[in-house]
Amino acid sequence: MGDLALSIAASGLDAQQAAMDTISENLTNASTPGYVAESAQLTTSAGGNVLGVGDGVLVTGVTQNTDGLLATNALQTQGVLSQSTALQQILQGAQSVFPVSTTSGIASDLSSFWQSWDAISQDPSNPAPRTQVVDAAQNLVSDFQEASQQLSNLQDNAQSQVSTSVTQANSMLKQIASLNGQIGATEGGGTPANSLIDQQNQIMGELASSIGAVAVTQPDGTINVDVGGVTLVQGTWSDTVETTGGTGDMSLVAHASGATIPTSSGSVAGQLAAINQYLPAYQSQLDAAANDLSSTVNTQLAAGFTATGASGSGYPLFVGSGAAGISVNSAIVGNPQLIAASDTGTLPDATNDGGNAQAMAELYNSPTGPDQQYQSLIQGLGTQVAAVNSQVTAQTSVANAAQDNLQAIEGVNTNDEMVQMLTFQQAYQASAKLVSTVDTMMQALLEAS
Amino acid sequence: MTDMMGSGAISYTPTIIADQMISGLNTDEAQQATLEEQLSTGNSINQLSDNPAGAAELYQLNGSLARAQQYTSNATDGTGWLSLGNSTMNQILSSLQSVQQIVESVSGASLSGNPGAIQSLAAQVTSAQQELTNLANTTYGGQAIFAGTGNVSQAYDQSGNYVGGGSAPTRTVAPGVSVPVSVTGEHVFGSGSTGLLGSTGILSQIASDLQTGTTASLNNVETTDAQALSTAMTQVTTVAAQMGSDYQSMQTFSQQATDAQQTLQTEISGLDSTNVAQASTQLTEAQNSYQSALWATSQLSQESLVQFLS
Repeated sequence: MGDLALSIAASGLDAQQAAMDTISENLTNASTPGYVAESAQLTTSAGGNVLGVGDGVLVTGVTQNTDGLLATNALQTQGVLSQSTALQQILQGAQSVFPVSTTSGIASDLSSFWQSWDAISQDPSNPAPRTQVVDAAQNLVSDFQEASQQLSNLQDNAQSQVSTSVTQANSMLKQIASLNGQIGATEGGGTPANSLIDQQNQIMGELASSIGAVAVTQPDGTINVDVGGVTLVQGTWSDTVETTGGTGDMSLVAHASGATIPTSSGSVAGQLAAINQYLPAYQSQLDAAANDLSSTVNTQLAAGFTATGASGSGYPLFVGSGAAGISVNSAIVGNPQLIAASDTGTLPDATNDGGNAQAMAELYNSPTGPDQQYQSLIQGLGTQVAAVNSQVTAQTSVANAAQDNLQAIEGVNTNDEMVQMLTFQQAYQASAKLVSTVDTMMQALLEAS
Repeated sequence: MTDMMGSGAISYTPTIIADQMISGLNTDEAQQATLEEQLSTGNSINQLSDNPAGAAELYQLNGSLARAQQYTSNATDGTGWLSLGNSTMNQILSSLQSVQQIVESVSGASLSGNPGAIQSLAAQVTSAQQELTNLANTTYGGQAIFAGTGNVSQAYDQSGNYVGGGSAPTRTVAPGVSVPVSVTGEHVFGSGSTGLLGSTGILSQIASDLQTGTTASLNNVETTDAQALSTAMTQVTTVAAQMGSDYQSMQTFSQQATDAQQTLQTEISGLDSTNVAQASTQLTEAQNSYQSALWATSQLSQESLVQFLS
């Protein structure tokens, strides 16, 4: 009789000890990222006793408090948020290229440029206002070139961010495959691989944020990693991701299969959207504005005559095309008298006539001029930034909620742990008390005999 | 252990509470930053995304404002030209009136048979002719106002020949509206034998007829020359009236452009100015909310069962 009671009490001591170990582990890791709270699984040990008394308590294992659905949801919402955040960063960069300012930038320099033509018409034979037009044109050209350069820098940065993310992702894919091997071996040996799974979860979180990877848990406890339907990790095998193409057509491909990896989530998806759609669109609108400037001004000049009576068609103010390629005709920079400000080619009137310059100034709001194109560029850009801003705000609260829901299951609640600590402590004390009580009973029996 | 965690409601672990606090603080801070930017710049549109349609409209309004300012500048310049033009026309008229008086006094002088008086009148006419030639070369900012676009500095040479040309310069003062800022010399003074200036002009003819001093030539002064002078003076008066009317319309357009600027300024500030009362109130609210969030964060994890176990 004493043997059974002692062995039951001993199993109790062991079980409470294991439970206390678990609580200790949970409390220590309460703020460790990716840590999933654990609980000791206690079951009654069935006994062979004829009276039906059991054999005590048994620790069947220490399991992780996880919920696959919530975990997947948290990863996906995080991936979507990362995508919008990455796009937001780039679009805000693009937005700062076009400042809302009345004193600097393309907007104000365009306005100054148009007004400078009226100064010629006020004093056509004076070289000063003509030089002023050339200066205004040069300011404008350098604004266009600078804006184009900044957009192209954003494009380069986005591409190098994608490359960096891909390099990191490849290293993480390898780690997941390696952890798969260890998890398979550990779990195959009958031991839970909880801390390895924690590590793997943490890496998956990063992969979901960067390339929108999805984990598919396998029956043996390992995970397969998919991105857009392309499997990149299966068991201990892992593929590498490569980038292909450039501005306008950059994409990810799997090295082994050569398959294109569609990205719809993660920061890389946002960056690729900027690289392939947004930034090229802004660049081409900016180019169109520069070309409109060039054609509007040069067409009007062609209708006029220079100060020496030559036709303006031979003396365009702007040469080259696109925002990066446009420049001020060096012949006119060298001799502003070549600006075709006059309405007439007859001398000496051509020297002293500003009729064509007056007509030029009135083109500031021409429907085919650069201002319309520029206005639609800034309105489109502003609308897109505002849209992505509100997406980020909405997705942040969705991702936070998903993370909180998951945390409620996986996280460590200190109060709960403390209550359980007391419970197990008392159970331990009770088992210990039982051992001493059985001891006392045995002593009494021995003394009686 | 899950079975001991209570049922139903979400379990708030310290991590969840901390995350929510941080998220709340970030939101409050972002809101404060936006409001502070609006207050410090005085503009409600500081980035395109603040109000994309507004930013585009602002761009258009600023373009129109700059244009209206240029119209004002053009009209001011034009007013300067026309103002000088009008006073010059008045001097021209008074000079011509003195010649007319001379012409009218010829009959009395010839009756008195005083050749010295006649020669003196001829000298006065020649002097008036010289004065008119100088007036015809009046310049504004170095540009001869009666030379049209044909010459910069001079409308008439010393012999009284017209060396200007082309047409009168104009100034753009409203969309599609150009007002002339002067007239060409030939329009004012005429040309050839019906013109006032030059060696074959009316004034030369009068001086020459006076100098000849015969009955026939003096008779000529009183009839043909007086008639020609009167016709030329009518033309000068007509042109003076035209310039006066251009001056009026230049001033009207100048006023219009100034009014347009004010209207545009009002529109721009309505679109882009920070509503200070509203923004300040919102900022105060955001600051209060931020303070509360900070206080709550400072209380975080102070209360836990751990404190009550010894």
